[in-house]
Amino acid sequence: MKLSKKVVLLGHFGVGKTSLFRRFMDNEFSEEYKVTLGVQIKKKVIQLPDDRELSMVVWDIEGHSDSVKDTRKSYLLGSHAFIYVYDLTREETYINLNKDIEYLTENYTKTPIKVLGNKLDLVNEKEIKNHLTEQNIPYNCLTSAKTNKNVQDFFSDLAKEITE
Amino acid sequence: MATHQNDQVSFNPQVQIMHLSIDDIILETDNNLFNWQKNTSIFDAHPFFELLKGFKDITKDQEIINFPCIHLEDASNSKICDVTFTLKKDETRVVIFDYTQKYKELNQIAQKKNESILLAKELELRNKYLLEKEEFKNSFITNLNHEVRTPLTSILGFIEVLEKTKLTFEQEELARIIKRESHYLNAIIDDMIDLSKIESGKLKIVDERFSFNKLIEGFNESYTQVAKEKQLVFETDVEPGIQEFLIGDRTRVYQILNNILTNAFKFTEEGNVKLSVSKNYQRTNKVSLNFKIEDTGIGILEENIPYVFERFTRFNRDQQVPGTGLGLAIAKNLVELLHGEIKVTSTPEKGTTFNIKLPFKFEVVKAAPKRKKKKYKLPERKNKFRILVVEDKEVTQYLIMKILISHGSFFVDVAFNSEEAIKCIERRQYDLILMDLTLSKVDGFQTTRMIRNNYGDKFISDIPIIGFSGKINDSLRDKCIRSGMDDFIAKPFEQEDLIYKITKEISKKEAAH
Repeated sequence: MKLSKKVVLLGHFGVGKTSLFRRFMDNEFSEEYKVTLGVQIKKKVIQLPDDRELSMVVWDIEGHSDSVKDTRKSYLLGSHAFIYVYDLTREETYINLNKDIEYLTENYTKTPIKVLGNKLDLVNEKEIKNHLTEQNIPYNCLTSAKTNKNVQDFFSDLAKEITE
Repeated sequence: MATHQNDQVSFNPQVQIMHLSIDDIILETDNNLFNWQKNTSIFDAHPFFELLKGFKDITKDQEIINFPCIHLEDASNSKICDVTFTLKKDETRVVIFDYTQKYKELNQIAQKKNESILLAKELELRNKYLLEKEEFKNSFITNLNHEVRTPLTSILGFIEVLEKTKLTFEQEELARIIKRESHYLNAIIDDMIDLSKIESGKLKIVDERFSFNKLIEGFNESYTQVAKEKQLVFETDVEPGIQEFLIGDRTRVYQILNNILTNAFKFTEEGNVKLSVSKNYQRTNKVSLNFKIEDTGIGILEENIPYVFERFTRFNRDQQVPGTGLGLAIAKNLVELLHGEIKVTSTPEKGTTFNIKLPFKFEVVKAAPKRKKKKYKLPERKNKFRILVVEDKEVTQYLIMKILISHGSFFVDVAFNSEEAIKCIERRQYDLILMDLTLSKVDGFQTTRMIRNNYGDKFISDIPIIGFSGKINDSLRDKCIRSGMDDFIAKPFEQEDLIYKITKEISKKEAAH
């Protein structure tokens, strides 16, 4: 039987969740900003190293403007992983990150949370890493949906992790 | 009413109802919205429904779960819907409400709101970037100014020293060229600094009472000479009745007129240049003057007129005509800073006319004329005066030594840094210290504070100190005075100025004792 896992993209509006979603699903990118209302869902079959197949169902949900608490709870129901995305060029998208992570950890104890800093193409990687470390801002991966940097690798690693 | 009815229609959702088996097979569907086949798995209909796989473990019987604003599509259409699941023991009921139109309208509002927030942020960042760039440019120009002025001071100083030695005619001519070019370089630096100050808003306008007649006389004197050299005629025409003393920023007014006159002479090879001044209006203590500068030069093509006041603009590519293309840009910026107006009209091959309107104030009650620069004399003494020069650059040390020694009244000692300076003043009595402000490790300000505060012996703590630097800004002199210095002199300094300031401080100290 094919495995199926639900993965939810979370984060502030305008951080590039839909761009990551489109880059991962269809390998497409557009400079144009289009707000996401509600949720769009797509799935992609990923071949796992042990020859199993994973049907990763990704929920690209509308961005919040203040805290992840504003997100509709039903969207998060039955998730196998959360991907919290922030914009490396906008501090206000990660200023409340630690509080949001705390909220998700407390309320969805079994769901792993991955943190992505996106729009890497617009910043100096070394400088931003230093800045995030100084500000105590966590990240699992820094990506650029525009250039596709680290996007596919991130989802492949996530697929392995949630099927272990 | 019609609109209301339309609204009702648009907000009245179309509905699709489905019944699913316990193993998520579509048992019944009315296919009102999407064409999904009976007896197939709901998971094949849309990936959204795959969430049902995880539901059954975490939800209770008869539970109703709502999912608003879900983007759903089948092979032929795509809609934004609210979906309600009613989970029972033996089946699941799914109701899909089509709210596409409502959500699309909301989407437009959200799009505008988010776009405006993102745009504001982008503008903020762009503004920050531009400010940083501007700050970098200004500090770069200030530092460049310092780095260039220091060797330039030496060049100008040594030329003056050189000119006083016995030179052949050819050597004299070469020295004259070096001097002229060095003064020209100095003027370029001044222009760059001025423009940078104006653009960064750091240029302060200082209102002072000045003699308008003398300002015009000054132009008359210097440009008559220039005109003579170029075999041109220079005329001034001042309307009678303009106040002799005006209140305004004399330095900047001079700079504006001087830049435009220089420009007029640069591009006029025959005929004349004329400066006329007339009153636009006068009310209570305010007067607006119109300065007209006309030349019979090469003129400017009509299509080039809009670019005349832009930086680094030079329409004439003749390299014989010197200039950076900053003069008119500075003039325009200064005119605007003084709340005036500047206009240009021109006819190619016939000449150009600049009209500048500038506002001034004047005193209704006649005030006493400004005092003249006071003259000072070195006190009578058998021995020469001993000066300590604190400077880490050998070339500047040498230049100051040359100037002072050639004057004949001074002995000069040199200290490379603060530590050496302190040793010198503890060992020997000095009449004056010339202190470079930018010494390495301990700077001139700190060294001065140490001299003023650390010694009970008045022969040390009261030594007159004159600071000097190639960095020039309005607050530097104040900073020198606050640190305990008696005066400040900017590089490149003229021999005459340096000797005047030294004489002044030594004679003031002598008079005080």
